This record gives sequence, C-alpha cells and structure tokens, in this order.
Amino acid sequence: MTETYLSIQGVKKSFGPTTVVRDFSLDVGRGEFISFLGPSGCGKTTMLRMVAGFEEPSEGRIVVGGKDVTHLKPNQRKIGMVFQAYALFPNLTVAQNIAFGLRVAGMPKAESAQRVQDMLKLISLPQLGDRYPYQLSGGQQQRVALARALAPKPRLLLLDEPLSALDAKVRVSLREEIRSIQKELGITTIFVTHDQEEALSISDRIVVMNNGRADQAGTPFEIYNRPSTRFVANFVGTLNVLEARVLDAQAGSVDVAGQVLALDRDLAPKRKGDMISLALRPEAVSLGRAGARTGALAATIADVHFLGSVIRVRTKIGDSTVSLDTFNDPTMPPPVSGTPAELAFAPRDLMVLAD
Amino acid sequence: MKAGKFWAWLTFGLGAAYFIIPLLATMEFAMRMRRGTYSFDAFAVVFGDPRFQQTFGYSVVAAFFTILLGVLIVVPTAYWIRLRMPHIRPVIEFITLLPLVIPAIVIVFGYIRMYGSNSPLPFLGSARGTDALLVIGYAILALPYMYRAVDTGLRTIDVRTLTEAAQILGAGWGTIIMRLILPNVLIAVLSGAFLTFAIVIGEFTVASLLNRPAFGPYLQNIGANRAYEPAALAVITFVVTWGCMSVIQMLARFAPKSANRPD
Repeated sequence: MTETYLSIQGVKKSFGPTTVVRDFSLDVGRGEFISFLGPSGCGKTTMLRMVAGFEEPSEGRIVVGGKDVTHLKPNQRKIGMVFQAYALFPNLTVAQNIAFGLRVAGMPKAESAQRVQDMLKLISLPQLGDRYPYQLSGGQQQRVALARALAPKPRLLLLDEPLSALDAKVRVSLREEIRSIQKELGITTIFVTHDQEEALSISDRIVVMNNGRADQAGTPFEIYNRPSTRFVANFVGTLNVLEARVLDAQAGSVDVAGQVLALDRDLAPKRKGDMISLALRPEAVSLGRAGARTGALAATIADVHFLGSVIRVRTKIGDSTVSLDTFNDPTMPPPVSGTPAELAFAPRDLMVLAD
Repeated sequence: MKAGKFWAWLTFGLGAAYFIIPLLATMEFAMRMRRGTYSFDAFAVVFGDPRFQQTFGYSVVAAFFTILLGVLIVVPTAYWIRLRMPHIRPVIEFITLLPLVIPAIVIVFGYIRMYGSNSPLPFLGSARGTDALLVIGYAILALPYMYRAVDTGLRTIDVRTLTEAAQILGAGWGTIIMRLILPNVLIAVLSGAFLTFAIVIGEFTVASLLNRPAFGPYLQNIGANRAYEPAALAVITFVVTWGCMSVIQMLARFAPKSANRPD
C-alpha cells in the first residue's frame, strides 16, 4: 500500500440502543480502490455515509489527506459520491448536472463548460450534454452521476452500490468502466456492494463486513483463498464445510464422520477432542484420487445435475454435504446417485475456520 | 357504440349539464339587462364601476403577498419535514387541516383580541397593519391547499438523496432549496398559488370583518343591491378561476421534466 490517504480510526456508530458499526479501523492508500462487502444491514453503507459526512461517528475519527474531517459537514469535505438511485437533478440537463458542483464552487462559466466537456468525454457521452436525466437509460444516468461526482476533482470518491439498479450486462460493463476511470484519474475510491463478484473483480482490497465489524481486509485473492472467519468463507464464494474432531492437534490429525484425515499443519491451540470446522472450495475437490491431491474421504453421491459443459455433484460425508463441479467428459458416463465415491483434495486447500 | 361506452358518455353528459346549465342560465340572465334584447350592459356596468377596479386590484395585490407568504412558509416546512422529521408529518397535516374546520370568523375575533388598538401589538390600529393581518389570515385559510400541493410535489422526487447529492457537491441549504427543491416542485407550488388566488379573490368573512376594501365584500354588496350585475360578476369570477386553471395547465407544459414526470 502507498502512503495512507484515508484513515478510519476506531469508528463506532449507534442509533439509539442499536450499534450498527463497531470498532472499525482501516487505512486506505492514495489511489487505492477499496470495496466494503457484506450482506444487507452489516453497516457498510453507514460506514460510507460517515466518510461522506451524512452521519457523525459516535466514537472514533476519520482523517482524509492528513486532515481530521470527523465533524465537518458533507459540503465542506470535497468528496465525490455516486448513489444507488443515480440522484441526478431532474430539473437540470446532463451538462448542468455535471457543472453543479463547479458552479457551487464558483468556477468561472467558460472554465466550467470546458470541464463539463472533458467529463462528458471521459464517460463517453460527449453528445448528450443537452439531454435531461429522464431521457437517459439507467447506465447512462449512472455514468453522468459519476462524471458529476468527479467534475470538482474530489479528494475521495465514494460509490454507494452504484450498479445495483442496473441490469446484469450493463452492470458488468459499467463496473469495468468505473475501474478504468478510477485508474486513469488515480482517485482513492471506496465502493460499497453486496455483490461478491463485483468486489472481487475490481478491488485492490476488500473489507468484508459482518454485524458492524470489519471481519477481514485483504486483496481479493487473500479474501477468497484465505478467509479468516467462518462468515467470510461462507459469504465469499461457495464453500463446503465439514465438522471434524481433533485426534492429535500437533500432528494435525482429525476425525471427519469416522474417517481419519491428516492435515499438513499444527492445530494448536486446539486440543484432542475439540470440534473444528474445515472448509473446502468446490473447485479444490475432485472425484477419485489424482496427482498431488493426497487427501481423500469416502462419500456417497447424493445428487447429480447435468449442466452441459459442467456436471454438478453433491455428495454426503456423514451429515455433511460436499458439492463439486466436474467437467463433462463425453467418453465418461456421469456419476450415479447413491453410489460410493472417493473425494480427493490437497490437504493445503482445507481451511480451518475461525468463528 | 358499446353499452359500457354509452353509459360512460351519459354519465359524463349529465355531470357536465349539472355544472354548465346553471352557468349558462346565469350568463343568459346577466345579458338581459337591456329590455327585449341580449347585451353586455351588466358587464359594462361592472367593469366601469371604479369600486370593482379598486377592490379587484386590492384583492390581487393581497393574493400576491398571500402566495409569497404561503410559499415562504410551506415549501421549507414541507421540505424539512420530508427530509428530517417524517414522524411528525401526521401532526403537521392535522394542523394544516384546521382552517377547514375552524371558521374564518374565529381567526378575526382572535385577531381583535390579540392585535386590537389597546393590545401590546396594535396591528389593527393602522391600515397597513390590518392589511398584514389580512394577508396572514388568507395564508392560513389557504394552508390546507398550499401544503397538500407542495407535499404532493415533494413526493414525486427523492428529497433525501437529491439533498445529499447536492450537499456532497458543496451546496448549502439556500442553494439546495432555490436551485433544486423549488424548481422541482414548481408546478405543485403554482397549483397551490392559483388555488390561493381563487380563495383570496372570493373571500368575504375576514376582509369584511377587518373592514378592508377587498373583492369579496364588494361581490356581496353588489349581490344584495343589484339584479343583473351580480350575475355578470359571478360569470367574471368563474372566468378568472378558469383562467387560473388554464395557466396551471400551460405552465405544466413548460415545466422541467423529471424522471418521475416524463412526457
């Protein structure tokens, strides 16, 4: 990470007796693209609104560019924000919308007109300056909202679920456009979303939030492959969870539904007899023993779903269910429900979940 | 013609006749001032009466200030309630309905007790003071209409998000209300304004009891002493009211379009 540009320090927010954000700390580097990812009600939007100045933290402070902005009003923070509902001013044209912040800041008309043209080019809508918001599609409106937020050259860009109201195709293209504009301008950005694919695909780092806390902050690779809590593991991607009893913590030996499994790590401070949760991504499991996949568990095939190029198989190990996808091989018949099978995986792919 | 359409047109025709026939009869009666032939003599008498011009002019000026006062009170109030205090909206709605159930005469007697010549605030001791009280009284009488019109207008826009979008772009409250909220509820404000205008032009009780030279008392006076002129005045008043409604419709066409109110 480059030098810290935005610093959120021990922030807590309560509404009456309800605490929605607790003990939230995060340092964001200049030009970094950070996503707040979490389910509805996890506090991600409230945290973003505190950075914007629409909510005041009950505790903690927020520093932008070395300046404490915790108690500044939103119109004094020089932050750009894009809202889920576009929030374009319906009485103003596209050009007037983009110029709004510039006019408020007192920029001369000629200079402001030039800046508006630059912004329209940036969002690839140079010919739509005279249109009203109602004459634009949802994707176009959100691009105008982005241009309006960027026009006054804000110190920070906040994106509050900007893609949620758009259809799937536009969502993918616009998220790529947002990322490329963000990279081009090098602006520090916070992006709030509940869509893990969005967060994984465009972020430098992701903060996974749960129940008002930041459960884990890391790169998309770290978040997906090394989730630090059960919540993160479950929320990001699909996960198979197996309950296991520790047989020998030091040797990494566990019992999964009556089968002994050797993990390649020390399980301390767990002790013999403790229960632990092991997790496996579906792509880390295959049917039958193969190559370096030295871990193996006997299972029974429960369901087989033929999806064309892929066959999705659900297997049972005791009370636990393990799902996996295998590629369709025209020379091999698909697995049959109710038959025994062996699940193979590399022990290093087994994650031990913290609660 | 289908049976459904026939009954719809019949109902419409009966309703229209119920409104139009009395108007036509009034118009016909107003034109019978000259014996044996139809003429516009009654209208000429009314328009030529200097008291008509004075009282109508007085009421138009009073209506202008009433609308101004109403807009200044209602737009920020309705906006603030939608933005920050939605929980007290039922209370405000109840308060704005009070002028419909409390007779105007109560307001006047309240004025006399509160602002009489011997009170600490002797507004009624001067003509200008009484005019001010008249305008305030009119604003109260028009409150149910003005508030509802503006509140309905505010309902068509996402007040909170638009306010936040403007705030984050650096705008203060003045800019937000003048450049954002007011233009987006302009049609609603105009509807409220013309309803206020119609109320003020015809209002009798407050103007009469405060002894101001308004159009309402003039209408009553003519009605009590003349035969054909009151009918002419009634037609003129209808034309003025319909004129106001037409202006609302025309302005609505020129109003800025919004995502909520496209063509």
